[in-house]
Parts: sequence; C-alpha cells; structure tokens
Amino acid sequence: MITILVFGRLSDITKSDKLLWPFTGDTNSLRQTLETKYPELSAVAYSLAVNKKLAVYNEVLNDGAEVALLPPFSGG
Amino acid sequence: MKNIFVQGPIPSAFIAESIQQHSHKRKIGAHSIFLGQVREDEGVIAIEYTAYEAMALEQMHQIREEIIPKYGLTCMHVYHSLGSVNTGDLCLFVFTSAPHRKAAMAACEEVVERIKAELPIWGKEILSDDTIQWKQNT
Repeated sequence: MITILVFGRLSDITKSDKLLWPFTGDTNSLRQTLETKYPELSAVAYSLAVNKKLAVYNEVLNDGAEVALLPPFSGG
Repeated sequence: MKNIFVQGPIPSAFIAESIQQHSHKRKIGAHSIFLGQVREDEGVIAIEYTAYEAMALEQMHQIREEIIPKYGLTCMHVYHSLGSVNTGDLCLFVFTSAPHRKAAMAACEEVVERIKAELPIWGKEILSDDTIQWKQNT
C-alpha cells in the first residue's frame, strides 16, 4: 500500500487530499492508474514526489512509500 | 529542521524585531530584505496558502545549505505564510545578512527566486464574488 497526498487544485479532482492505493510498481504506472481513475488529471500539469523528493525520472515505489501529487508551485 | 511557516500574515512588527535582533552581530555590514505582499489582482481579496510542509522544509534546508556558503552569509532567515492573507498584508519575508552589500543582495534575490520555483506551496486566490482561482507564478 502507498499513501498518496494530493495538493492544491488537484484535490478538487480527486475530491480528497489523501488516498491509500494498492502498490503499483513505479511512478509511471501509478500516473497511468491515477489518470484512468481520475481522467481530469491527464489534462493538468503535475509532478510527483516520492518520500518528499521530486521524482524526475520513473521511480520504483516501495511498499509504504509516500507519494505526493504536486501542481505547479505558486508560493510567495 | 528550521520552520519557515507562519500562520496568517507576517506582522511588520515582527520584521522590525528581526532586524533589531541582529545588532549584536558586529561582523554584519549589510542586510537585504525582501517582502512579498498580496496584490489586489482582478477582484482578489485574499490568498489562502497551503503547502506540503515536510517537503518544503527539506527543500528550504537544502537551499540554505547551498546559499550560505555560496555568498558567505552571516545569516539568513525565511518566513512564509500559511492560511489566509488579505491583500496588502505580507506573505513572504526573506532576510539575508553579510559583511558586504553585494553578497547580501545577490543572495536575497536568489533565495526569493528559488522559493518561488522549488518550494511546494500553493496560493488559492479568494475573489470578492466568493469564487476562487488558483494563483500562478509568473
């Protein structure tokens, strides 16, 4: 099981800011699974963080990982 | 890890107090301060900030570790609001201090740019007609 934290405008799409998800392998396959369940996600820009680090490439997700869905930052 | 988050607006008295606290650091010759203020754009009355706090603090720690030696800073302080901040109020306070002005100013500018680009913080603009829109950094 992985925990998915959802931030900013993306939580309007998932209707929740925290999802528990069965383990899916890697960040690319997770993206696909998420976009199948929430088709609106495929129309917006977002990055993934794995255990608080931005996932730049496809990354393996270990059981218990904390994944975050991050829309473009707008601090300051 | 040093916290940077403040609930609500950053009071101007807090800024004055922060400056005062540096008077005993006698090697400082220059301070540079950046203050971000919530701007009244097309009906915006407030911005509500949220963050992935744990990741933001790790990123900020990393930025601090790089910037302090790069510019030879004596010290550096960063505060960012969470929650609601009305237009006209302050939401970001970056304070860099060094022996000489050029280092303090260049460091301050780089830190502000990196905060905007690298910290997972989001602003939801609250409009006067009760609708919302998500802020976009330019």
